[in-house]
Amino acid sequence: MADALLRCEPVPAAPAAYSGVTITLAPPMRRWSLRAKSRQALETHLGLSLPRKIGETLGDIACLGPDEWLWRAVDVEPKETGAGLPLSVVDVSERSVGIILEGHAARAMLNAGCPLDLERFAVGRMTRTIYEGVEIILSRESETRWSVDVWRSFAEHLLLSFTTVARNR
Amino acid sequence: MILIHCPYCDEKRPELEFTYAGEAHIARPADPSTLSDEEWERYLFIRANPKGRHNERWRHSFGCGRFFNAVRDTVTDKFETTYKAGEPRK
Amino acid sequence: MSGFRMDQGGRVDRGARVNFTFDGKPYQGFAGDTLASALLAAGVTLFGRSFKYHRPRGIMGAGVEEPNALISVDRGGGRFTPNLRATQIEIYEGLNAKSQNRWPSLKRDFGAINDRLGRFFPAGFYNKTFMWPRSFWEKLYEPAIRRMAGLGDAPSEVDPDHYDAGYAHCELLIVGAGPAGIDAALEASGSNARVILIDEQDELGGGALADPSLWPWLERSVKALQAAPNITILTRTTAFGYFHDNFIGAVERITDHLAEPGHGPREKLWKIRAAEVILAQGAIERPLVFEGNDVPGVMLASAARVFALRHGVAVGKNVAVMAAHDSGWKDALALAKAGVGIAAIIDVRDAVDAGLVAEAEAKDIPIYLNYSVIGVNGRHHVKSAQICSNDEYLGGRIACDALLMAGGWTPSIHLWSHSKGSIAWSEDWGAFLPDKPNENVRCVGACGGTFSFGKGVNLGQLPTPKDPATIKAFLDFQNDVTAKDIALAVREGYHSVEHIKRYTTNGMATDQGKTSNLNALQLASGFLDRPIEKIGLTTFRPPYTPQSFGAFAGHAKDALFIATRKSPIDSWAGEQGAVYEPVAQWRRARYFPRSGEDMHAAVNRECLAVRNGVGIFDASTLGKIEVVGPDAAEFLNRMYTNPWKQLEPGRCRYGLLLREDGFITDDGVSARLAPDRFHLTTTTGGAARVLNMMEDYLQTEWPDLNVWLTSITEQWAVIALQGPKARDVIAPFVEGIDLSPEAFPHMAVREGMICGVPTRLFRVSFTGELGYEINVPAAYGRAVWEVLWDAGEAHGITPYGTETMHVLRAEKGFIIVGQDTDGTLTPYDAGLAWAVGKKKADFVGKRSLARPDIVAEGRKQLVGLLTDDPNEVLEEGAQIVADPNQPVPMTMLGHVTSSYWSATLGRSIAIAMVAGGQGRMGETLHIPMPGRTIAAKVTAMVFYDAEGVRVNG
Repeated sequence: MADALLRCEPVPAAPAAYSGVTITLAPPMRRWSLRAKSRQALETHLGLSLPRKIGETLGDIACLGPDEWLWRAVDVEPKETGAGLPLSVVDVSERSVGIILEGHAARAMLNAGCPLDLERFAVGRMTRTIYEGVEIILSRESETRWSVDVWRSFAEHLLLSFTTVARNR
Repeated sequence: MILIHCPYCDEKRPELEFTYAGEAHIARPADPSTLSDEEWERYLFIRANPKGRHNERWRHSFGCGRFFNAVRDTVTDKFETTYKAGEPRK
Repeated sequence: MSGFRMDQGGRVDRGARVNFTFDGKPYQGFAGDTLASALLAAGVTLFGRSFKYHRPRGIMGAGVEEPNALISVDRGGGRFTPNLRATQIEIYEGLNAKSQNRWPSLKRDFGAINDRLGRFFPAGFYNKTFMWPRSFWEKLYEPAIRRMAGLGDAPSEVDPDHYDAGYAHCELLIVGAGPAGIDAALEASGSNARVILIDEQDELGGGALADPSLWPWLERSVKALQAAPNITILTRTTAFGYFHDNFIGAVERITDHLAEPGHGPREKLWKIRAAEVILAQGAIERPLVFEGNDVPGVMLASAARVFALRHGVAVGKNVAVMAAHDSGWKDALALAKAGVGIAAIIDVRDAVDAGLVAEAEAKDIPIYLNYSVIGVNGRHHVKSAQICSNDEYLGGRIACDALLMAGGWTPSIHLWSHSKGSIAWSEDWGAFLPDKPNENVRCVGACGGTFSFGKGVNLGQLPTPKDPATIKAFLDFQNDVTAKDIALAVREGYHSVEHIKRYTTNGMATDQGKTSNLNALQLASGFLDRPIEKIGLTTFRPPYTPQSFGAFAGHAKDALFIATRKSPIDSWAGEQGAVYEPVAQWRRARYFPRSGEDMHAAVNRECLAVRNGVGIFDASTLGKIEVVGPDAAEFLNRMYTNPWKQLEPGRCRYGLLLREDGFITDDGVSARLAPDRFHLTTTTGGAARVLNMMEDYLQTEWPDLNVWLTSITEQWAVIALQGPKARDVIAPFVEGIDLSPEAFPHMAVREGMICGVPTRLFRVSFTGELGYEINVPAAYGRAVWEVLWDAGEAHGITPYGTETMHVLRAEKGFIIVGQDTDGTLTPYDAGLAWAVGKKKADFVGKRSLARPDIVAEGRKQLVGLLTDDPNEVLEEGAQIVADPNQPVPMTMLGHVTSSYWSATLGRSIAIAMVAGGQGRMGETLHIPMPGRTIAAKVTAMVFYDAEGVRVNG
């Protein structure tokens, strides 16, 4: 993509450190929404293996729904868009930004607004859910590291929500 | 806040992730133009509204995104069961 | 004993003195005191004035049940909390507490005249008296009643505190950390199960805190619990509500007890999901009903025990006890043992456990069996109690400075009832006990009826030889409901417990009848001559105790109240001084005023700039959906009114979306990028709704179709460049797209590059001018915008906002769904018949367009309106009539939906919804406004460039 033009992110890139948690903007990533009734159709088309169960991740791909996968990494791109095939590959790279929460207090912080039982949320799991009324895609990358994908226009609000909680605990 | 079992995710998730979508098993007629005004009215507007067991639709909007069916008691607000769209009435 | 502070005993820290004020007067207490215990120690008996009669009131309970002593605490700087119970306020250095509902002072309260007028204030008084004249209610009665009958004042300043909130999950939640709750927690300690133990007090122990013999056990147990890694202990935390599927709301008070609140949150709202719940909430003692039972100094026996044994405070030096239950004797004996003088034990029963009697006799306590208290002397504090034999009119006076009531125990089934568990009457308890659960929950200890306080007798009111209609024997101390109010309600025909409650207001105060419900039921049962179990208990509802608004708001205040969505170009608009307006959840630039301009001037300038040169507009908020799959065209064909299958790749089409009932729900221009790929646009506010509707049809009606929908609203920033010079501005930056009108006509789409980033370039126009909507990846939206902005300077490029967009589209007669439509307009009503595919066999909403009411004459239709006076701009929403001289109420034909000053045309224009509008072309209609009527002619909706040549540039 153009080197001449500057990307403009909705939230500052500088990490913000609080007691027990550091909040960081994830680097720009490529995101592809993969849809098909048949997982095999996508696997054949992409030449990749896809996770089978909702919530599971395999490599850079997570299963979000019975016919929906999210392929997300810094630099991934399908060779073909699948014209004419019974599947859908859509570029949603810039639809969301990623926010990383890391630290021993990150889980409790996320539970300020997310109703899921995150203590029992396995490392490697990814799901679409909600944080204080805002749709997010949440994944646990390690015991203490969480990634939150949020639609770009909500990012400022969500970050303010996170930092308000972090600052006041 | 109730917990709802999503038949696609196969787990109970908090109500906040779901949206209600009206009575279940009201299929759109294959050819609406053949319906009388009365038949179309019934399809469009007439709903069961029972006190008690109700077959209804929900969507796991902030989850897997799927519409599914449920049997909920409208008095106790308890879910008897949930099942995938397209499965026969329970 | 110094004052009423006992020389020893209690859990207060006698080495830590704490200074505080009550109604401005300084006092001293010890760390561990509540406001109630510290003031009682100082000899204070008067704590408040009652709600209706303004009667002097003192402390009745020792904890959550306290109905009388409602206190305001002012920490300054907006930290003001009314209606706190003195028995639950922990004192701290500098505490500033104030009594309520009195003027000018607690001792001389002007409103106390209500007490003298008491016979004129029976139950239902307000309903009966202030019915008419109707207008007096709002202007006179209600404000006056509100002033007189207030509780604490509402805070008037912004609350500076922060309130935390969060979800928690556990396998076991235990509510209440008395002996039963602690035992349950100990049993669960050391397992893998996550356990949360909640108690509203500052330390664990509950009832055990007032029983020194249990303190060694308590200390051991608390240590064990604190050491258990699977147990989370939350003190100063009230479980206020029990909701579906074991979801419990609790508020933790974090800083209210601290002298320096610091910077952390004041409270935290815990939203707890538990696999299993154990309720160990204990029981609350009942007062007895007799004349004068509200005089300060008359209190629950259990409360006196707590003050003495937990706080080291004697509630009196010569204390009489009126009992209907063995527990009163036990409390009296415990007090006597601690050194409190007992004036007498009076029991309404004629026989009491011999062991208790012997113990009392051994302490030389005078005993009156089969006697009742029938009156209390003293107004601001008890001076003596008048007693009378229940069999003959034989009585006397017992000098005392406090009178304790032991009316039996009511298990706290509040949360159990929230959870919809059933309850069953227990004659033994004289109360309802938990019966069958509705959730995975059980009750242990006193709240489950499994702890014994001894035996007692159940009665509504103590026997009295006096005329019951002339005495004030209180049931609900907070709402000032007396026994005779219940009698009156029953006499007037209220026989359902729910009606009696509402008519008398018994149990409707902030304490929800914690001490009054059962006594009122007993009385009603007597008056109705029906057993209590046939009458039933009124429903308990959350919250168990009042909670602060702050706790419920949590983080969701100020900027976090609701998400404000911002486009990638929002920040640029802000830097240019744009005035924003909210559109759905977004904020959008409404106009860009230059110095000295008001909105009118700015919009006029922006409109002319687009018509004569080029304007730049942020259209990023438009909803966008990528529709992909072999059946994409088939799917759109079924959804939209117009035909899609023949649309060639590279072309755009205006799509009109109906609901199945035939009414317009959304519209937008969409493009076919490839045979199996479409880029749809929706209205800004309709994006989520349309996607949901389409998913619904796709998933549940036509699951056989191979097509998928992906929201790409936020993938693309959209820069609308509109005006005759639009092409000149973008031309230097576009690669891979032939911009010539022949190669790239109006309503076409091309993919290529602009400024070096990929673009989906639409040649479309919502203004009627030559124009483009430039989709670029959102992260580059602002950068591309700035490149075009700089380059456009030479062409006089002007940023415009939503207001100008609205004017320009109205000049062209383009509707805004949701502004010009209201959910009752068909395509025909909206003048969009051209957008309905006549040959299509079916689409969503088609069948409804043939319904009798839809094809009937006289439907409201959209038309243009031109005022006779071109300078007159109609008000949007103004009603329209045919004959302004008809009598009121006039027949309304419809209303104005859009109205603007058009700088381009030099006159006002409007769009209106008018009954039979399309048949009224040329007719003059009238818009009545205050003091005048405006005449306007019905016209077509297109006011400018009716031939539509300008889009060709």
